[in-house]
Amino acid sequence: MHKSYSPKVSRRDSLKWIGKMSTTVLIGGVVVACDTADQPMPEVKGTSHWPNLTFDPIMGPKYGQDPDMTNPTTPWARTLTQDQLNLIAHLSDIICPADEGGPSATVVGVPDVIDEWVSAPYEAQQNDRVLILNGLQWLDDEANMRNGSSFMNSSSDQQIAIIDDIAYEKQAEIAEFEHAVMFFARLRSLVFGAYFSSPEGIEDIGYIGNEPIIGDYPGPTEEAMAHLNEVIANLPA
Amino acid sequence: MASFDGFEYDVLIVGSGAGGGMAAHILTEAGIKVLMLEAGRDYDPVEETPMFQMNHEAPLRGESTSDKNFGYFDATVDGGWEVPGEPYTNAEGTTFRWWRARMLGGRTNHFGRYVPRFNDRDFKPFTHDGLGVDWPLDYDEMQPWYDKTEKLVGVSGNNPGVYDVPDSGEGVLQPHAKPRVYELLVEAACKKLGLPIVPMRRAVLTRAQDTREACFNATDCGRGCSIGAAFQTTTSVIPWAKDTGNLKVVTDAMVKEVHLSDDGKASGVTFVNRKNMQDVRVDADYVILAASACETARLMLNSTSEKFPNGLANSSGQVGRNLMDSTGADFTGYIPALEGRPKYNEDGLAGNHLYIPWWDYEGQDDGSVKFKRGYHLEIGGGFGEPGMGTGNGADGYGKSAKDQIRKKYGSGIYFALRGEMVVNENCYCEIDPDVKDKWGIPVLKFHWKWSDEEYNQVAHGMEWTEKLIKAMGGYVTSPKRTPEEALLPGGLIIHEVGTTRMGDDPATSVTNKWGQTWDVDNLYIMDGGVFASNPHKNCTITILTLAMKNATKLAEEIKNA
Repeated sequence: MHKSYSPKVSRRDSLKWIGKMSTTVLIGGVVVACDTADQPMPEVKGTSHWPNLTFDPIMGPKYGQDPDMTNPTTPWARTLTQDQLNLIAHLSDIICPADEGGPSATVVGVPDVIDEWVSAPYEAQQNDRVLILNGLQWLDDEANMRNGSSFMNSSSDQQIAIIDDIAYEKQAEIAEFEHAVMFFARLRSLVFGAYFSSPEGIEDIGYIGNEPIIGDYPGPTEEAMAHLNEVIANLPA
Repeated sequence: MASFDGFEYDVLIVGSGAGGGMAAHILTEAGIKVLMLEAGRDYDPVEETPMFQMNHEAPLRGESTSDKNFGYFDATVDGGWEVPGEPYTNAEGTTFRWWRARMLGGRTNHFGRYVPRFNDRDFKPFTHDGLGVDWPLDYDEMQPWYDKTEKLVGVSGNNPGVYDVPDSGEGVLQPHAKPRVYELLVEAACKKLGLPIVPMRRAVLTRAQDTREACFNATDCGRGCSIGAAFQTTTSVIPWAKDTGNLKVVTDAMVKEVHLSDDGKASGVTFVNRKNMQDVRVDADYVILAASACETARLMLNSTSEKFPNGLANSSGQVGRNLMDSTGADFTGYIPALEGRPKYNEDGLAGNHLYIPWWDYEGQDDGSVKFKRGYHLEIGGGFGEPGMGTGNGADGYGKSAKDQIRKKYGSGIYFALRGEMVVNENCYCEIDPDVKDKWGIPVLKFHWKWSDEEYNQVAHGMEWTEKLIKAMGGYVTSPKRTPEEALLPGGLIIHEVGTTRMGDDPATSVTNKWGQTWDVDNLYIMDGGVFASNPHKNCTITILTLAMKNATKLAEEIKNA
């Protein structure tokens, strides 16, 4: 269980934990309309042991309104600690394991993408950072309460027992898991987004494109048309 | 003849987007010398466009941020709904958001290349429904100019024989692209419901033309187009104008004031050189403002004189008034029958191949439709390049969750309502007396209020998109909303027009039908500000057409002078 995650691309900066923790302020945030991560966190109202950690905002540098688009670079430093990165890597492969369609999340560097994401100096990503880091802490707290050890030091069965309580949308209705379910849903979305947009994930999902086709666009294949015609023939009356 | 930096010229143009670019092309072709001032930096799509870069190569997988509102690879430089150091304000309790781009070519570098022309009714809205005002020109007058403009721009599409989509002249249009599976399914649903669905007119070449290549059916047009297939002024009219030797372009020139001579003519402008913050004064015999509807209005309102204390050429008081955007509301659905369908390349021309034009003019005339102006529906869906959003929509974890996402890929459908708003007195911009931008120029303050015309239109769109989704055997996935909640804020569709409208009467309009201001006869406006109404059809092709028509007349006048 103590597997250490090694970044798939070199890190620009030493891993620096810049968040300063406190446990007093409620989480709440409003996403700027043009930032497009998911929903902001609503105010904490459950009775669970959600950690309510707050963090100093990450101020930059941003890439600005005139970045070099043909040679993209990411100007901000990554901020996850090695322990956090290990936990995210572990969860990423629980969420997105290898199967016959493609590799696991860590094989394609998903934890690096999440580290870059939660370290980004934009409001939507900063809201995700609060949710994700609190979620990681919640997992350890929950594991300690249930098993007397951290999440990573719990057995596989113990880990999965916790995940099984928070991995499904409908479990958000259970007050003690409300925030943990939100955390897991967001992490799942980030893991699969990062996985399926990776070169291996693109192949897995079957995106065909981004290649020049000289001449007229050929349109659907015969096979695609046959399927469509079947669908049209069976449309509701 | 005026001169700047050793270059002699007759006409000074402010702005290098659709209006300014086209005017420069027409004038320079006619042998007239033009000085063009652009507030933003120089920009070369051939060198700078990220044509094949993928999401995983960009920070945050290319997702939108406050720096790049349409994602990392969007062409916009130094722009968006917020520009650092160049604020605008909103009157209390109102929201209008103002998109700008600070680059050569302006917003033509990233627009959707959706270019429907207006029909006869669009130019005479007041005559048809008693709201707003008519244009001082009609479709018959515009028709040959639309043909010329579409031919020059390079438009793919067809003549479907639908009233909302007037025919282009013979040989004007290039072949349109074949529809994709999800578009054909929407077509089947439209047939069941009796709605029209037709190829979308797009300013995307499907045949090579002049200096530009045909589309090679890949990469998003919003990034700009290094091969010139997707129209933008920076790969067409501006380089062509430069090639005549009659155009000089000065970038990083933020114009702050238009000067008036003692004889009541526009005598030139002052711009801020953005690189050294110095004011530079330049003269001109003719001035064309094409800085974008709101930027042009701002410039005129900031150009006060004894003769025009309320702003240059503003004796009507209409400068800044009559601001309109398109209505916008987005509706999503999920079509289980598309799950697991055979994969193939659905990139195509990147945008819509088919769309649903406005269909119920009859209902508007007999009163069964509870709003006066139409809308169209753009269609989204398909096997697009995966991004962070691809991770949404699974439940649980592990292989089953992974399989859910694989299954859903290509099965979602999306309708974007884009409609006409009716001009109203509550939507306008004025100079904020208290706020200046980093160049020391007073900024705009916006006022905005929708009317029931727009809410009723969105309610109609909500109802019909639900019918469409159900006719495909699908279900609606948009959250349940009221029309008030679904209608996007003003400015979000980036079709703002009307702030210097044209008309027949100098008391109620700023320019005549040639874009010539009533008050100052050598001052012309050639951007969207001159629109008298804002039909649901995206504004760019009409801005281009008016600029071609009006610059052609101006060229004749200058040569005859």
